[in-house]
Amino acid sequence: MKKLKKFDIVLYIIMTTLGFITLIPVLKVVAEALSDPRYVVLGEVGILPKGFTLDTILFVLRRVEFLNSFKVTVIITIVGTLLAMVLTVTAAYPLSKPSFRGRKFFLYIFVFIMLFSAGMVPKYLLFRSLGLINTIWALIFSASFSVFNMFVVKNYFEGLPESVEEAAKIDGASNTKTLLTVVLPMSSPVLATVTLFYGVTYWNSYFSGIMYITDPKLKTLQQYLYDLIKMTSSSDLSATDAEALATLSGDAVRSATILVSTIPILVLYPYLQKYFVKGITIGSVKG
Amino acid sequence: MKKNEVWKPKKVKFSTYFKRNYDLYLMLLPTLIFITIFSLVPMYGITLAFKDYNMFAAETPFKSIIASEWVGLKHFTKLFSRPEFLQALRNTLIISVLKIVFVFPFPIAFAILLSEVRSIRYQKTLQTIVYLPHFLSWAVVAGIFVSLLSSTGLVNSLLVSLGFEKINFLMSNKLFRPVLIISNIWKEFGWSSIIYFSAIAGLDQECYEAARVDGANRLQQIWYVTIPGLIPTIVLMLITRVGNILEAGFGQIFAMYNPTVYETADIIETYVYRIGLGKMDFSIGTAVGLFNSIIGMILVLSSNAAAKKLTGKSIW
Repeated sequence: MKKLKKFDIVLYIIMTTLGFITLIPVLKVVAEALSDPRYVVLGEVGILPKGFTLDTILFVLRRVEFLNSFKVTVIITIVGTLLAMVLTVTAAYPLSKPSFRGRKFFLYIFVFIMLFSAGMVPKYLLFRSLGLINTIWALIFSASFSVFNMFVVKNYFEGLPESVEEAAKIDGASNTKTLLTVVLPMSSPVLATVTLFYGVTYWNSYFSGIMYITDPKLKTLQQYLYDLIKMTSSSDLSATDAEALATLSGDAVRSATILVSTIPILVLYPYLQKYFVKGITIGSVKG
Repeated sequence: MKKNEVWKPKKVKFSTYFKRNYDLYLMLLPTLIFITIFSLVPMYGITLAFKDYNMFAAETPFKSIIASEWVGLKHFTKLFSRPEFLQALRNTLIISVLKIVFVFPFPIAFAILLSEVRSIRYQKTLQTIVYLPHFLSWAVVAGIFVSLLSSTGLVNSLLVSLGFEKINFLMSNKLFRPVLIISNIWKEFGWSSIIYFSAIAGLDQECYEAARVDGANRLQQIWYVTIPGLIPTIVLMLITRVGNILEAGFGQIFAMYNPTVYETADIIETYVYRIGLGKMDFSIGTAVGLFNSIIGMILVLSSNAAAKKLTGKSIW
């Protein structure tokens, strides 16, 4: 009995410490964003806000560049996710039918493009030739289809009871009608999961912006953040005190920007956690 | 007839099948067009690795690829005599191996410990905390670590209060790789533990029962029941990870590195970006990218074959 208890105590200490250490970086950012910038400059802010103020947050929210980036990111996330879902579902449905003629051939194509990519340079040159550089479409098209997500949906469709679909077919419904009226309404868990997969990918992607966008008006939130980090990090330690005072209020601004641009993720987090975990288990049942 | 179509599809002629199911092909068409344009057409651009690119040879940059002159393997021979490329290749392998050694075991240990926590509510709370960093972008994580490691950041304040000198972690060739490893663990250990955690949940409870009857304590149960039960999952994940050895973490490194640490942190993909798009040396950039894609594909295919042979499971 005594040994059991000892084990549990040690376990709880380890796990609580681990959980706390994991939270520290997040708490630190939140604390810096909500503290009086003067304390941030002096490095006096720990993991709790000191001299609580919303000034830094409001300052970030009023910046034109920030607002622009926020708008761009919201647009590409919504339009991109919609487009991606259409492309994913319409490919997954035919490929989920064992009787679909040419299924193997098409599957090979999809597996091939999952395994082999032309690389950065040919893609960039293509985007340039299509006139997509410095357009919002470059940001949308660079992530609007994922073979992996398509396979997740396809596997889910394959797992649906066949009898329901057959009944619809015997009633004379076309494939399209069966998909829309029978299959999709039964698939809300996987559709929610994959929608969130795409949504988070769009919201979090920073590299497509770096590759295809130079126009400041079209920078995504993550790219804006990336620029901000590169600006404030390199000059940091070499700065003299006077310079430090000027640049280090940049620390508060950076933390506030991180916080504000992550809020949508935090708001959705309960759903993200639930559906992403589901996605892992659906995705691991490969057929 | 409708019934036949469902039960004996192979007996129907293709033209008949097509007439009945043309909408399936129509449905697939937009995605096929999309991947043709954005995945297959760029593959023609690979020829650039064997040509001297002249961007103005035709009216668009992509058509110029067709018009450019063939030069055979010139770029590849040049590549292997370039110290920066060899350095990037070496860094990619070193960082990947370091991550396999230090990052890979972490979620396994965490999943085992988590499964030992008896209170479901506490288990859920811990999961909620440790999954969170997975949903942050690398740009955000880079920002968080820049802030933690800055001269007035948490880590340096701690060092100073313990009587040590301040350290500029992100500018140090000695410390940058440890920073990559720690930030990688922080972002992904919770998330990666899910697969192990659900594997443990699927283990036969009777084995634990039997172990308890034999007088095994909790540690012994972990050692003799949980870990052996996890081996297939661990092997599968490890093989997959080794197959992806060329992926040292582009998104992470690109967001965190700077010219001072190129020596230890420049990997193949960051090199492709800097040479191909930064310096506009398109042919060399394509050649490096092609090298990366081909070796990467061979490794993934072999690791999948190995996984199939060893565990009877396949990654796809």
